[in-house]
Amino acid sequence: MTILNRVARARPGTSSRLSRLLTIELLVLVLFASMPLVLGLIWGEDDSFFWVVFTTKVMLLSFLALSFDLAWGYAGLMSFGQALFFGGAGYVVAVMSRDLGVSSIFIIVPVGTVVGLILAALLGAFLLSGSRTPSIIFIAFGTLTGSYAAERLARAWYYLGGQNGVSVSKAMTIGDMPLYEGFGFYYLAFGFLLVVYIGCRFLVRSQFGLVLAGIREREERIAFLGYKVQLTRALVFALSGAIAGLGGGLYAFHEGFVWPALMGPLTSTQAILYSLFGGVSTLIGPIIGVSGIEFATIILIDYLRDYWIIILGFLLLLVIMFRPTGLVGLLVSDRERIGSFGRRGVVSKPDARGD
Amino acid sequence: MTKLIQNEQSNVQLTRRGFLQNAAWMAGAVATGVGSWVFPAKWAHAAGPIKVGIATDLTGPISFAGIPNSRIAKIAIDQINADGGILGRPLEMYLEDTASNEQIAVGVVRKLVQRNRVDVVLGGITSSMRNAIKDVIVGRGRTLYIYPQLYEGRECTPHLFCTGPTPAQQCDDLIPWLIANGGKRFAFPSANYVWPRVLNEYARKSVEENGGEVVLEEYYPLDQVEYGATVKKIADEKVDVVFNTVIPPGLAPFIKQLYESGFSKRGGRLSCVYYDENCLNFNTADEMEGLASCLDYFQNIEDPFSAELQATYQKKHAHKDKVLFTAGSASTGMYRGMKLWESAVKEAGNVDRESVSAAMDHAKIANGPGGPASIVPGTYHTQMNMYIAVAKGGKYEIIDKAEQVHPKECG
Repeated sequence: MTILNRVARARPGTSSRLSRLLTIELLVLVLFASMPLVLGLIWGEDDSFFWVVFTTKVMLLSFLALSFDLAWGYAGLMSFGQALFFGGAGYVVAVMSRDLGVSSIFIIVPVGTVVGLILAALLGAFLLSGSRTPSIIFIAFGTLTGSYAAERLARAWYYLGGQNGVSVSKAMTIGDMPLYEGFGFYYLAFGFLLVVYIGCRFLVRSQFGLVLAGIREREERIAFLGYKVQLTRALVFALSGAIAGLGGGLYAFHEGFVWPALMGPLTSTQAILYSLFGGVSTLIGPIIGVSGIEFATIILIDYLRDYWIIILGFLLLLVIMFRPTGLVGLLVSDRERIGSFGRRGVVSKPDARGD
Repeated sequence: MTKLIQNEQSNVQLTRRGFLQNAAWMAGAVATGVGSWVFPAKWAHAAGPIKVGIATDLTGPISFAGIPNSRIAKIAIDQINADGGILGRPLEMYLEDTASNEQIAVGVVRKLVQRNRVDVVLGGITSSMRNAIKDVIVGRGRTLYIYPQLYEGRECTPHLFCTGPTPAQQCDDLIPWLIANGGKRFAFPSANYVWPRVLNEYARKSVEENGGEVVLEEYYPLDQVEYGATVKKIADEKVDVVFNTVIPPGLAPFIKQLYESGFSKRGGRLSCVYYDENCLNFNTADEMEGLASCLDYFQNIEDPFSAELQATYQKKHAHKDKVLFTAGSASTGMYRGMKLWESAVKEAGNVDRESVSAAMDHAKIANGPGGPASIVPGTYHTQMNMYIAVAKGGKYEIIDKAEQVHPKECG
C-alpha cells in the first residue's frame, strides 16, 4: 500500500526511545554547534579559522538545499530554479551595499528574505495558476527557464556588473559592529539555520504538512477533498524562495561577491544534488548532503586529484539509483521518514476508512 | 477497485523514481575544485620558505590560458630558487585550480590565504575571476595580489598590482597605425561583456582624436555564432577597419563570414587585440591574412632574454601539448609579475605586505618577456614595451615596437 496508509496505520506514541531520525537531527545539531569550539581547543583559533569559514559556507549552502527539499520533497515541485531566489537575493543586497552603502544585518536579512519570497511567489503564480494541472516536466522546465533567463540577464546587464558580477567589499554590520567571516558569522548563520530548520520541521509535521504529503502522493484525491492544491503548493514554493533568499543574502556578504552563475542552472542543479544525495523529504537530508559533498571534496580532492570528480559522480549515481531517499534513507525507514502529523492522536482511526 | 488504485499509485511512484534516475546525469555538473599542488622548498632556512600562491584556471573553458600560466609561474620560481631564492630563503609554490568557476575560486583562494598563509597570490585570468578573489586576498586576507592578464583597466585597489597591458597600451600605438594602414571608418563588433565595452570606449576616443570615425558599435551575446547581418552592415557602411572584440565560439564564424563577404579583398583591415600565437589556428591563414594585433610580446620579436625564456618553456612543455607561451594567455604578465615582486621583496628586505607593497610601487626589472618593465608609481599598473604584429601566411610579422608605453590608469 501507499506510504501514507502505512503511516496512518502506525500507532501513535510507539516511540518511547529516541527515534533514529531525531537522533540524526540532534547529532547534526550538536556537531554544528560545537565545531568551532572543539577545533579552537584542539588547533587554536588561528589554525581552525579556515575550517570555521568553510563550515559557515556549508551552512549557508544548506539554506539553498533546504529550500529545494521543501519545494520537491514536500510540495512535489521539481524546481530547477532555487538558485534564482538564492542568487537573486544575493544580487539585490550586493547592489544595495555597493550603491546605497547598506550593510546592517537588520536590513540585509529581511530584504534577502523578501526578495526570495517575491521572486518565488511570482514564478510560482505563473507556473501554477494555469487551468491545467502542471506536470513535473512543466515545472522543471519552467523553473529552469527562470533561472537561465536570470543568469543571462545578469551577464548582459552592465548595471549588475555584467560578466564580472558585483563585489561586496563591506562587512555586514550589527549596529556599529562589523561582522567579518569567522567565529561571529559562523554562529549567526548557525542561529538562522536552526530557526529556519525548526520552522520547517514544525510546518511539515503539522496538519498542513499532512495535506502536503497527500498532494505529493496523489494530488487528485486531495483536490477532491476540497483543498486548493495549486495554491497550497504555491505557498510552499514561495516559502522555499524566502528561505533561499535569506541564505543568499548572507552568502553574498560571506563570500564577498555575487556573479551571474550564482542565479543560474548550475547552482540550481547543485541544490538538487545536495538534496538527492542526502535524502529528500527529510529536511535533515539536504544538510547532510551539503556537508557530505563539500567536506568530502575539500578533504579528498588533494589525495584523489584526478579521480575525485568521477568517484563523486558515481557515488551520487549509486545513491540516487538504489536509494532514492538518499543517505538518510539508508538509516531511517520510510515510516519514520514521513513521520506523524499534527498533535499525537489526531490520526487515530485508520482502519475505519477501509478502502 | 483497490487493485486498480494500487496500480495507479505504483505508476505514480515509478514516474517519480524514474525522474530521479534521469536526474542522475546531473551528477557531473556539481561544482567542485580540482585540486591543489605544493612544490616544497628545496632547502631549509631559519625563517622558513617564502610561500607563493598561484590561483589559476587549470580546468574549464579558461584553462587554455591557466595551464601555460601555471607552467611559467613554476619556471620563474625555479629560476629564482636556482639563483639562491630571495633574501636567502627558498620559494615554495602553492598551486590551486580555480576551475574557471568563481564560486570554487573563492574557496581555494581562501585555502591559500587562510590555511597555507601564502605571502603573495598571483593569478586570475578573467576580470570576473579577479573581482571574485580580490577581496578575499587584499581585503579580508591582508595579502598582496598580482593580476597578470591584459584587461579593461580601472582596477585601482591598493596592494593589487596589474602586470598585463591596459586599453591605453593596446590602443595608443595601434589605432593611429590602423588609420594609416587601413582607413578612417571603423566598426566595433563586440561580445557583450565588460572588457569590450571599456576597451571600445577608449578606442573610440583614440579613433576620433586621430581623425577617424566609428560607424558601427554593436554588442552580441557571448554565444552568438551567426554574423550575417553584421557582415552586411560592415559592407554597406564601407568600413575600412574592423576592430574586433568578439570572442570564441563566435570568433571563428565571424572572421570566416567577414572574409567570405570580400572584406579583405576590398582592402579592409581586421584587428583584434587579444590575438596571439595560440589563436593562429582558429581560422585558415587566408581568412586571417593582414590581421593586426598589439601585445606586449610576440614569439619573433628581437629580444635575447625573451627568446631564451621561450626556449625554456618549449623544452619543458612542447612535447605535452600545443599550449604555447604567449601574451594573450596572461603568461607574460605572470612572469613579469613574479620578477617585479622578487625585486620588491629584495628591496623591502622582508615579506611584510606593507613594505613589499611600498617597494612594489616603483619596482623595475631590466629583463622580462618583451623587454624591461616597471610599475608606474601610484598607479598599480605596469609600463612595458608594446608590439604591433600583422598575420602573414599564418605567422606574425612584427611591424612596430613602442618603447615603455604608459598604462594611463588610476592617475
